Amino acid sequence: MIALSHVVKKFAGRTAVDDLSFTVARGEIFGLLGHNGAGKSTAIGMMLGQVWPTAGSVKICGHEVQSDRRAALLSVGAIFETPVFYDYLSGTRNLEILSTYTAPTSKSRIREVIDWVGLTGRAEAKVRTYSHGMRSRLALAQALLPRPELLILDEPSDGLDPEGIHEMRQTILRLQRELGLTILLSSHLLNEVELLCTRIAVLQQGKKVFEGNVADVKAARGKVALKTGNFSAAVELLRARGLITGATEARFLTLAEGRTPAEIAQTLVTAGFAVDGLWQHEQTVEDFYLNLIKPPSVQN
Amino acid sequence: MFLAQLKNELWKLFGKKRTYIGFGAFLLAQTAMLLAFKYTRWQSDFERMLSGNGYLAAEFISVLTVSVLMLIPQIMLLMPLYATLVGGDLVAKEAEDGTLRMILARPISRYRLLFVKWSAGLIFAIVLVVALGLTAMGFASLLFPWKGMFVFSPGQAFSVLSASEGLVRFIGSLFFMAVNAGVMMSVAFMFSCCNMKPAAATILALSFLFVSMVMENIPFFERYENFFVTHHFKCWLLIFLNPVPWTQICQSEIILFAMSATAFLLGAMVFQVRDIKS
Repeated sequence: MIALSHVVKKFAGRTAVDDLSFTVARGEIFGLLGHNGAGKSTAIGMMLGQVWPTAGSVKICGHEVQSDRRAALLSVGAIFETPVFYDYLSGTRNLEILSTYTAPTSKSRIREVIDWVGLTGRAEAKVRTYSHGMRSRLALAQALLPRPELLILDEPSDGLDPEGIHEMRQTILRLQRELGLTILLSSHLLNEVELLCTRIAVLQQGKKVFEGNVADVKAARGKVALKTGNFSAAVELLRARGLITGATEARFLTLAEGRTPAEIAQTLVTAGFAVDGLWQHEQTVEDFYLNLIKPPSVQN
Repeated sequence: MFLAQLKNELWKLFGKKRTYIGFGAFLLAQTAMLLAFKYTRWQSDFERMLSGNGYLAAEFISVLTVSVLMLIPQIMLLMPLYATLVGGDLVAKEAEDGTLRMILARPISRYRLLFVKWSAGLIFAIVLVVALGLTAMGFASLLFPWKGMFVFSPGQAFSVLSASEGLVRFIGSLFFMAVNAGVMMSVAFMFSCCNMKPAAATILALSFLFVSMVMENIPFFERYENFFVTHHFKCWLLIFLNPVPWTQICQSEIILFAMSATAFLLGAMVFQVRDIKS
């Protein structure tokens, strides 16, 4: 559905996106991670034909965005971080206006989408009376109007309260489950990305520094948590035996290649350590992300 | 689809309160001018000028005469302000508010979007002028009778017409005023397509018009007057002359239409290569 190939974007000599390539397959929920200014919004802008790439190619639904933008965006819906509308008009009027930029849309389709996002009863009210949550729903409604196959969400949970974030997460999952949409999600909320995405790409200073499955991220560089009376002595012993390569936070051990927790337990018990607990620690996307973007000097 | 897009663009434009600032200002200005004409020495001075030229003043202090009299300063001062205010808003305000990014996430081409917006701006210019003309006549009819028409503007027009001929010419003048308003709006629209705030687009357009007017009035530039857009804005007064200088009017109108189209194309070219970011 999305294919970026060696995309470069420079603004007045500053490189915002540098040789970015990735693909998103149909039906995936793909997460785009990165700090502020990492190039996520620029990359999304290039996917939507709002920002012209300096080099490279961007294809959406098989169509080159630069040369065939209309065909590329015909089945695409997008939501941006701050949902903005014509505040002085009603929700329905806003949807009518936005729908005409894609294709003729019937009133029944507009009503259907309003029902789907749960704005029934408030759609005729002026948007200036809407809460942030209602604006987010209206943003979702406008994105769903053209019956998209691909949904691009740029920080959709930005500014929402925990309840709103939960609701947005459930909606995204519902979109994929019920409508079979492909979703590209750019977010700062790493927990959200972990709960929603099947694959992620991490951008740092415009460059892609990682692309892979969330499941692999969680399993990768797996750590073992150890609870014992004398952690530092245990680490010294395990290091001397070549069973671990590192230890952090007085709790976690990084296993050496090919070693297992069972070997750790056996070695410690044999050496007379009281092992109160030993378990596989699953890495979160947040752990992974923070480790990835840390400067080399601070990495473990 | 174009008509649906245009209809919605007009909904956006006429749904905003600030769109009506110009209409409100015109109403206030017309009321003030009408009262000033009726209750100060302005009317008696005007009557003296008519008598001095051999006309019976009572026959020409009429709805049409007073309407044109009220329109002259408004066309020169207020119309550029409100036409450029709306033209400057059309693209830049949407970019500033963030709605432009939402529109451009849809498969509409940038040229098409701009053409729809520009067309809506031209319709606004026409509506503004028609409202201006109708309210001027409406207000004037409250205090003055329906009689012959006298048009005087120093150095530009001095004309006496029958009521029926005057009405036809008055309607014709509205057309030329609408063209003027369209050009003013188009210049502001062109700046609005660049990466700038709406107020900056309006100020730049006003500055452009002001500079043109100042230079046109400098004696040294008299021989180059055709190069100044404000020179061609005078068509709306020329139509009251006897005989009507159609050649000059046609030449000016062609230049004004070309000016509008050029402003649109320049704006569209800049907008086409712009990156739209939040």
